[in-house]
Amino acid sequence: MNKKVLVLGAAGLIAPNITAYLDPHYDLTLVDIKPHPHGRPIGRVDVTSYEQVREAARGMDAIMNYTVNRPDPVLSFKVNTLGAWHVLKAAAELGIKKILHSGPQTVRPGYEYDFDVDDPPPIVGSGYYGITKYLGREICQVYARAYQIQTISFVFNGLESNPTLPVAGDFPTFTVTWEDLAHACRLALEVESVPNYFQEFNLHSYLGHQKYLLDKARRLLGFKPQREWTAFHRRPT
Amino acid sequence: MRVLITGAASRLGQAIASRLRERHQLRLLDSTPVEPGPNATFVQASLTDPQALWQALRNIDAVVHTGQPPAELPADELARDQLLLDLATRGTHVLFLAAVEAGVKRLVYTGTLEVLADYPDDVYLSEMWKPLPPPTMPVLSRYLGELTCREFARDYLVSITALRLGRLVLEEEVAGQPGDLMWLDLRDAAQAVECALQRDASQRVWWTQRWGLYHVAAPIANPKFLYSQATHLGYKPEHRFASHWGGEAP
Repeated sequence: MNKKVLVLGAAGLIAPNITAYLDPHYDLTLVDIKPHPHGRPIGRVDVTSYEQVREAARGMDAIMNYTVNRPDPVLSFKVNTLGAWHVLKAAAELGIKKILHSGPQTVRPGYEYDFDVDDPPPIVGSGYYGITKYLGREICQVYARAYQIQTISFVFNGLESNPTLPVAGDFPTFTVTWEDLAHACRLALEVESVPNYFQEFNLHSYLGHQKYLLDKARRLLGFKPQREWTAFHRRPT
Repeated sequence: MRVLITGAASRLGQAIASRLRERHQLRLLDSTPVEPGPNATFVQASLTDPQALWQALRNIDAVVHTGQPPAELPADELARDQLLLDLATRGTHVLFLAAVEAGVKRLVYTGTLEVLADYPDDVYLSEMWKPLPPPTMPVLSRYLGELTCREFARDYLVSITALRLGRLVLEEEVAGQPGDLMWLDLRDAAQAVECALQRDASQRVWWTQRWGLYHVAAPIANPKFLYSQATHLGYKPEHRFASHWGGEAP
């Protein structure tokens, strides 16, 4: 029997592009506050309402939280921080032991001019997007430790379709393809355990830069980009 | 200095105001009315009201953000926790953003040593130990407030001093009770805040120097919570809880 997975933010920028990959393997329940862009049936759940999150999570084996608000001074806190708390609180209350969370690359701006960046502490600054996601991450960490909730957070920036033709230009840094993100989500949903119950992973699809390393995701999840994307960004010589 | 104190209706806010009012002009801020007393004015406002805070911060030199919960909390636990989380995160952000926009250079936050309560009693806990806050909101929210403050020290040329205070009591009121390694007398907490207000690292280039984190504990014999860093601020606690712990302070 497939695992039951609640997808919060299912009509947002990320989830609609990976659910097709996950559908064959999981019993997905899609919820959001707006209609699904592809017209799929979707439940209405506002992550800022604890009662709604808890009721949607009842009976689930895992929760994927892809809700986000970036610039709003009030909603960024309500969605990214309070919402994260609601998700973890519901998981603790209902005995759900698997959470997939996401953090933006904005937890890494302090390393923007570094290389070999593997698993450093977040440096976020006081901007709404970064700090509210960071506080949500901290809540995840606290709950993961206290209730043994295996919580996996992916850090990435851009998202792209899989290239099909040669591209005359560099691959954008810290960008993951839909296919690779879906693959990483599968690995995260299936992994038996991670150290300390909470782990954050760099995630992207292009190994050429040697900037943000994927070593930890490879080591703990067995992740590697599904295709050799560098082949599409070759300069003709 | 002209000092704004948040959470002014709280016991800690009152203790700080009592300590500071002789040498500083105070502006007390709370969502609950407070009698300002000598050398002070009062502003009734919520921490999540940017406009009110911007007004309250005009002509202020320093902010003491006590992070204390409001006097009246919802009876419902979920509503209470949501409010505490909102005040600690968004409220702290609104306050500090308004403060830096108003040109305030010194900010003091009073967090809590409770974020280290999970460690066993047979260790010496300095600021070098990783916080392990529990998922209970009264403590978790204080930790998140501390993290919010820290990010402002990264971004702005302001001096931010976070004091992790012990469990606040008056020494005389706990006489006869079993000793608590985390006890801190309110008057010593207020003294630590006054010391922290003297710290100005706002022009330091490295953010790690603009940010300061200090444990504030009682000078008991054989302490679990070490406060030696705070002595560099000038902190000299007086309340030793000698009837509980005996001996001389280290």
